[in-house]
Amino acid sequence: MTVSAIEFSRLGPPKLRLYAMRCEACDTLSPWWERNHCYKCGGGALHEEELAGGGELTNYTVVYYPPRDFLGQEPYVVGHIEMDEGVLMPAPIVGVAPEDVAVGTRVKATLRRMKLGHEGDIYYSQKFVVDAEAPAPAAGE
Amino acid sequence: MRVGVLGIGKTPHKIQHQKSLRDLVVEAGRKALDDAGVGPSDIQALYVGNVGSVGFNFENSTGLMSAHHLGLVPAGAVRVEAACGTGAWALHLGCVAILSGLYDTVMVLGAEKMNDLATVEGTSIIAQAADSKEEYFSGLTFPSGVALTARKYMQVYGLTEEDLAHTSVKNHHYGARNPYAHLRFECTVEEVMRSAKVADPLKLYEVCPMTDAGSALVLCREEILRAQPDKPQVYVTATQMATGTWYAATDTLEDAHALLARPAQRAYEMAGIGPEDIDVAEIYNSFAIQEPLGVEALGFAAQGEGWKGAADGSTWIDGKVAVNLSGGLLCKGHPLGATGSTQAVDIIEQLRGTAPEGMQRPDAEIGISACRGGPGAVGAVHIYQRLEGEA
Amino acid sequence: MAELISYGAYLPQYRAPLGELHRFYGRPGRPRSKALATPGLDEDPLTMAYEAAVEALGDGAAPSALIAVCQSPPFGLRKLSGTLRAALGLGTEVTPYDLGGHAGGLLDAFALAEALTADGAGPALVVTADHLVSYEERVADTLSAGGAAAFLVGREGGFAALGPAARAYQEVYDVWRLGTEPEPRYRLEVLFDAYAAAAKGALAGLEALTERPAGEYAAVCASQPHPQTLRALGRLGVRPEQLEATSFVGEIGNLGAASVGLALALGLDRAEPGQELLCFGYGGGEGIAQALSVTGTPPAIGAAERIAGDEIALGTYYRWTRGRQPVPH
Repeated sequence: MTVSAIEFSRLGPPKLRLYAMRCEACDTLSPWWERNHCYKCGGGALHEEELAGGGELTNYTVVYYPPRDFLGQEPYVVGHIEMDEGVLMPAPIVGVAPEDVAVGTRVKATLRRMKLGHEGDIYYSQKFVVDAEAPAPAAGE
Repeated sequence: MRVGVLGIGKTPHKIQHQKSLRDLVVEAGRKALDDAGVGPSDIQALYVGNVGSVGFNFENSTGLMSAHHLGLVPAGAVRVEAACGTGAWALHLGCVAILSGLYDTVMVLGAEKMNDLATVEGTSIIAQAADSKEEYFSGLTFPSGVALTARKYMQVYGLTEEDLAHTSVKNHHYGARNPYAHLRFECTVEEVMRSAKVADPLKLYEVCPMTDAGSALVLCREEILRAQPDKPQVYVTATQMATGTWYAATDTLEDAHALLARPAQRAYEMAGIGPEDIDVAEIYNSFAIQEPLGVEALGFAAQGEGWKGAADGSTWIDGKVAVNLSGGLLCKGHPLGATGSTQAVDIIEQLRGTAPEGMQRPDAEIGISACRGGPGAVGAVHIYQRLEGEA
Repeated sequence: MAELISYGAYLPQYRAPLGELHRFYGRPGRPRSKALATPGLDEDPLTMAYEAAVEALGDGAAPSALIAVCQSPPFGLRKLSGTLRAALGLGTEVTPYDLGGHAGGLLDAFALAEALTADGAGPALVVTADHLVSYEERVADTLSAGGAAAFLVGREGGFAALGPAARAYQEVYDVWRLGTEPEPRYRLEVLFDAYAAAAKGALAGLEALTERPAGEYAAVCASQPHPQTLRALGRLGVRPEQLEATSFVGEIGNLGAASVGLALALGLDRAEPGQELLCFGYGGGEGIAQALSVTGTPPAIGAAERIAGDEIALGTYYRWTRGRQPVPH
């Protein structure tokens, strides 16, 4: 998590958009923090690739005892989303009651505040909302 | 003992807002791997020296983070911390790992990212490396704690502030020639005397800056390096660690001397040499007074006379023993966890003959590094030797 | 002539119980709105502007400029339009403009968009967003709420043309804030008077330009900081039917600069080709009235369905209002 105005200035612009890291050796897409090495093949050259924002919720939990930065938002859903491009994204799911979330739900990325830094700096990043236009997952999928 | 140094690497030592702690770790680690000619899968254990990531960077587990981002998984990794002696402790553990016979090749890495927070916050975090709950509760800061030692030294040995200023002049002379140093300007005694007071009697040019840096070494069993005669045959031949009092109130001049003198004596015995055999030394000097203390503790001068070498040339590049040809911590800064490992890297460059022009001691064969901190709580001495053509 | 090409709107899903706030603070009289549209803790004018802008941009319209209108930007000294541009993934060739300090600023933004697109430049994306904040019992007067609306303004492919505009201004203290204060100061009676006077002057000015009195527009889409201000329009010849579909302040409160934007989105949703709409923006003593000619079928977004929301408890509202304070350094 970013913590200081300098660190955010270093990371800020990329975190306003949803992106992942593409390995130039084996083409695997890794999460955005894998800037230095591909976990699949060990390659050291990766570049940013923007994601379209759509994905499927593959796992989730509901947090009742939040860390300080998320106080007031509990209970909130945090899950792993398999993005359509083929990479796992951890993120909160907002705008939906915890009981209305299910594995297989189609979600899409949007912009939200993540936390308020102790220097009065605001960190924005992606949270996900249920994609109302997507068809419900078929039984057995 | 002989521990082979297969590779070394370091980042620039300065404020680097565009690099995160991860970037520093990866840059230093990859440089060392490339220099060693090995890949990540050859490293069997990783020792990461880092003091303040919880404070400076709001994260812990620096060793595990480094293993992941360097691609060293699944080798074991751990974070090492011993205040300012952290980097030296990481080196010590790397040597112990090799000497134990459990490992063939390990990596030692020091890294610190101090400049994401404002200076006043950074100072508070550095204070936690000393007894922040007791003496620092009274308003002491790290510079003021060491300043107390400086005043004692001046009272006992009659050192004047002008005398001490020569240390900064020498360090800055070489720092200006070190492309990896944080501060790269020369200065005169007058300029040192005129620089702003930080904690009397220590002035701005007598205290080190807050620096972002990483440095790394790949260590191996002696046989592995011997089997590659085209590689520089530099070995760690002694490693000795010590503690001292943690409180400034109980830190006498004798304690300050013994903190390094005791492990130094054991290190010389371990390597089978004496102070007269040393060509180059890296002596911890985040505050100028610590260089004379270290010069004395390592046996290069009598107590009370360690400051003279900077004034009369005997600790300069062509003196009896060249001290801090890198510019010392006064110019390189003190990236807490990396300082000890950078000292090692800089000595090894001297023994390899690859230091930049103007700071390379000719024909350096035996070097020593002395690291201390806390400010009187940790001492570490390592000896390095170039041992060509030995079986 | 500049045209509206597409639009979007965003309302947070939460509704604060204004009635409970009245009872809690022992306020006299009845609550002037049923609820207050309340942004969640992880929302602010930037995130709401993002949502509205995404809807307006649809499948990848490429604006040449981005104009942000906001009285409550997350940062006082940084460009909301700049960060919004980055969040939308638009390139630096899209010029960012910030307009602030005026609840009727949407009309200023339309004028700027018209000027920017005059010589063949691509469309301008106009986004209004606000999260008004008042603490304690003051919210009973200020009806502080939040939302956003966005409009793509260009020279071709639109469904409604921006017509003539007229302004009226007087120097008043109705709602203002000193630069260092977090909360607005206000005198409601001055607001009501000034709104009426500004509306009178602007509507008269527009009538002089268009020869169409206010009562002859298909709908009136107006800034609405308080239900009383809509009643003032009624006394100036605006008929209840013209405000029926575009009034919401009595349901969800005062959305600041986004208020006239949401009103316009509601009006456009129900507009038909051939109709004329009147858009009225008010703020700080100034009223701006602009005529819009609907030439095609608007790409409706169903804004009316978003007025209803999920009620939150009084305690939740209080936590969310107070919880926005930064931790002391």
